Amino acid sequence: MDNREVLVDIKNLRTFFYTEDGVVPAVDGIDLTIHQGEVVGLVGESGCGKSVTALSIMRLIPDPPGKIVGGEIFFHGEDLLKKSNEEMRLIRGDKISMIFQEPMTSLNPVYTIGDQISEAITLHQKINAVEAKKRTIEMLHLVGIPEPERRYSQYPHEMSGGMRQRVMIAMALSCNPDLLISDEATTALDVTIQAQILDLMRGLQKKLGMAILIITHNLAVVAEMADTINIAYAGKIVESATAREIFKSPRHPYTYGLLQSIPKFTEKRTSEPLPAIEGMVPSPYHMPKGCSFNPRCPFATEKCREEEPELVELAPGHMVRCFHPIES
Amino acid sequence: MRDYVIRRILGMIPLILIVMIVSFAIFSMVPNPFAALIENPRIKRSDIDRLIKAWGFDLPWYMRFFRWFGGVIRGDWGPSLLYPGSSARDVIALALPVTVRLMGIEFLVALAIGLPIGILSAIKQYSMTDYVVTVVSFMGMSMPTFWFGLLLMMLFSVVLKRPSGMPLLPPGGILTPGLEEASFWVKFLDRAQYLVMPVIVLAFSSIGSWARYMRSSMLEVIRQDYIRTARAKGVPERSVINKHALRNAMIPIVTLIALSVPAIVGGASITETIFNIPGMGKLIIAAETKADYPTAMVGLMLISILVIVFNLLADIVYAWIDPRIKYS
Repeated sequence: MDNREVLVDIKNLRTFFYTEDGVVPAVDGIDLTIHQGEVVGLVGESGCGKSVTALSIMRLIPDPPGKIVGGEIFFHGEDLLKKSNEEMRLIRGDKISMIFQEPMTSLNPVYTIGDQISEAITLHQKINAVEAKKRTIEMLHLVGIPEPERRYSQYPHEMSGGMRQRVMIAMALSCNPDLLISDEATTALDVTIQAQILDLMRGLQKKLGMAILIITHNLAVVAEMADTINIAYAGKIVESATAREIFKSPRHPYTYGLLQSIPKFTEKRTSEPLPAIEGMVPSPYHMPKGCSFNPRCPFATEKCREEEPELVELAPGHMVRCFHPIES
Repeated sequence: MRDYVIRRILGMIPLILIVMIVSFAIFSMVPNPFAALIENPRIKRSDIDRLIKAWGFDLPWYMRFFRWFGGVIRGDWGPSLLYPGSSARDVIALALPVTVRLMGIEFLVALAIGLPIGILSAIKQYSMTDYVVTVVSFMGMSMPTFWFGLLLMMLFSVVLKRPSGMPLLPPGGILTPGLEEASFWVKFLDRAQYLVMPVIVLAFSSIGSWARYMRSSMLEVIRQDYIRTARAKGVPERSVINKHALRNAMIPIVTLIALSVPAIVGGASITETIFNIPGMGKLIIAAETKADYPTAMVGLMLISILVIVFNLLADIVYAWIDPRIKYS
């Protein structure tokens, strides 16, 4: 895994939102590495900063109120945060592209899907309209849309959610990006469609070889797809390891809690309620002192309430941000 | 679509008939204009009776309607009571171009200024530009036209003078007396001077509402997911606004524009009165209060037909810019 070249290296990224009620540190020191062709999962509850991380990579944080206040995002060794807006625009949709949670609203209702995909192609490649159309139809075919020639001139409202998400994927992959960011791309879909889209993404990843950053709150999604999993909590990465490691021997109490709360079919049905993590995600305006997970952590000690733990490598490639990691 | 339009046009006929009957019935509530003549000792009772009979005021309103309607079918809209000797149609034909010139220019000026500043104010929400636009919009909307008109008259006709001692702009009217037979360009320039102040007064009050409509429609659109999608594929900011956002934001605005066009014919009675412009607004009010029902009915039917036609046009344009709308 690690012998592959590093594609994205996020170091201590901090993205804050300045609201009327105060400063929200949505992302407060995220570190994340993505190798070329690697599928990386970023998992966490709502509000832990996963989507903000993705939008920070794209430099699409709405400003105001949001602002990237610190850190570095290296992409092919160059810091994206130092790029001009125009340089960044040329990267978006070409080298890095993104698909979003809501396929129903992510496509412009007044343009045909063909127009919308070929726009992405002509923006980044020097080709004429005829070739762009040909390429668009190829892409539609690639993402498994039947009758691509006919679909080309259809409008988004004439398609189902699953089909629209395929269109989004076709659009995102039309310029052969090095990195595809999937921000909860399957969350809004029916379970069966979800499985189809995940299948499609996995197949395309094998075929085209791009890296994928999968952002989700659903551990099952990353379990199927990801090589590496990063668990985020309150704007920080709390654990990072290979998918196998995470599921086999979670070391952070939060990861452990998340895994415990997944119902298992192998176990005998009991009347016991499913174990859940006590408490709530802390309010971003009132982050607890010390480790941000300490109010909900069954193992928290005095130290956890005073000091903030660093991300440490407990085993090769297994990083954990905890003073009292669970023994493997 | 073609069938739909034909159906709508056929539906207009009964609608216009109903509008005719109802407005005629309402007009008949205006007291008989000849009844007051009884007070005048110099007019003979028999003459009054003859007038009442000739104008049909001895009949119930519906009988008078049928008599009038019989003429309308033959193309005769009846004589004007307000301007004895002229037909109602001729009276309207004199006022109509005056009003269309004033209101048409005002309408175009208001749109040409109001829509762009509305867009600007939306894409720079909460900036200084936005605040200035908002304050000026509300000022325009809340300033009474008669007062603003008088202020302008003070400035341009009283304070500011030409070297010859004449006012910089004529305070009222539509054409300098004596120029009726002048060449086209002389008349054009002369008319333009008379139009400056009334156009400013009327445009100032409607620029504000256009800017506000445009701003809110644009704000609604630019926070949509598909705008983020457009940015994510690397569309330049200018096209994000002009191509992806504007077309969606224009959908409600175009409807509003189409529905406002009939007002061009209706005139603006207050402003016309202030600037002594013999337009439709003034004429219809005078006709209504003086029981000149033939004239009032011509004016009213003209406006009603335009309202109905432009409603249909709005629906057609609506389907044209929004592919989600289909008529069958």
